[in-house]
Amino acid sequence: MDVSQLQRSWVEFLTALFNEGFLDSQFNQLLQLQDESNPNFVAEVVTDFFHDSERLLNELTGVLDQQIVDFKKVDSHVHQLKGSSASIGVERVKNMCIAFKAFCEESNREGCLRCLHQVKQEYFLVKDKLQTLFMLEQQIVAAGGSPPLM
Amino acid sequence: MKPLRASTVAACFQELLGIGKQQKKEIPNESAFLRGLLIGKNILVVDDNKVNLRIAAAALKKYGAKVECADSGKEALSLLQLPHKFDACFMDVQMPEMDGFEATRQIRLMENKANASMAANPNASAAVSTYEWHLPILAMTADVIQATYEECMKCGMDGYVSKPFDEEMLYKAVAKFLVSKRIHET
Repeated sequence: MDVSQLQRSWVEFLTALFNEGFLDSQFNQLLQLQDESNPNFVAEVVTDFFHDSERLLNELTGVLDQQIVDFKKVDSHVHQLKGSSASIGVERVKNMCIAFKAFCEESNREGCLRCLHQVKQEYFLVKDKLQTLFMLEQQIVAAGGSPPLM
Repeated sequence: MKPLRASTVAACFQELLGIGKQQKKEIPNESAFLRGLLIGKNILVVDDNKVNLRIAAAALKKYGAKVECADSGKEALSLLQLPHKFDACFMDVQMPEMDGFEATRQIRLMENKANASMAANPNASAAVSTYEWHLPILAMTADVIQATYEECMKCGMDGYVSKPFDEEMLYKAVAKFLVSKRIHET
């Protein structure tokens, strides 16, 4: 594939992510913050988000696995995850966190476990999509083109 | 083929998909003036969420501000011991151990103490005695209900921005305090 084809694929892929509700306008904000003085911003902040989220999901799994669930802890972790997913613009993950918080406030263990399962699904789905996007970007560079966001 | 610029891509998506804010009628002079106000200013961003910290810092740096980050109320307090170099502070409201309200209360206590002792100092020159410590502190919160706003004002905050924020929201919120501060200092 030549460079312009790859760039077209990249744009189409990103457009689809917006259209399918994986990403919202907040992700657009991140695109706007990337420039010559901050050339890897999007990849860096999204990578931070991946590390942070997976840590939180692991913590949540642990806390909800206990005999007696500490819902305060659950709430604190979900609050973090909701905050960062809202800031990145991963809409479906954020919405799942809102539902999760509601069950947490009711100290509803079953509800929380269901939400945890769904949040994990949505998170890994969007992680995969974003990693594909970054990979497409790398292919463009490898084919001799400029990275799409520069 | 020309490289795609991030801002161009972003603008295209805004139009094509109807996402993001409506195109605002910008007053060119006002915008340029506000933008200029942040250049070289020292801004402290306090948030226990690393992702949010990174995004807030990038947004402010884009306008030429010098940004420092703190990930707790406690760390913020140690950085804000008087005298400090900061021109403004963005403070996350919900943080473990010490929340944004409590951190702000403590900052105001420190300032009141310092201002009182300056005023009481018979050796203070006229210039020194007209300056009062008051760091503009803006809350960052996803929770925009009235009760939160009132709590912000009660503990001594100067305003707030809602999360998730966009860069324009951030710089507009802080720029107006940098204008009034400058006037206050002269």
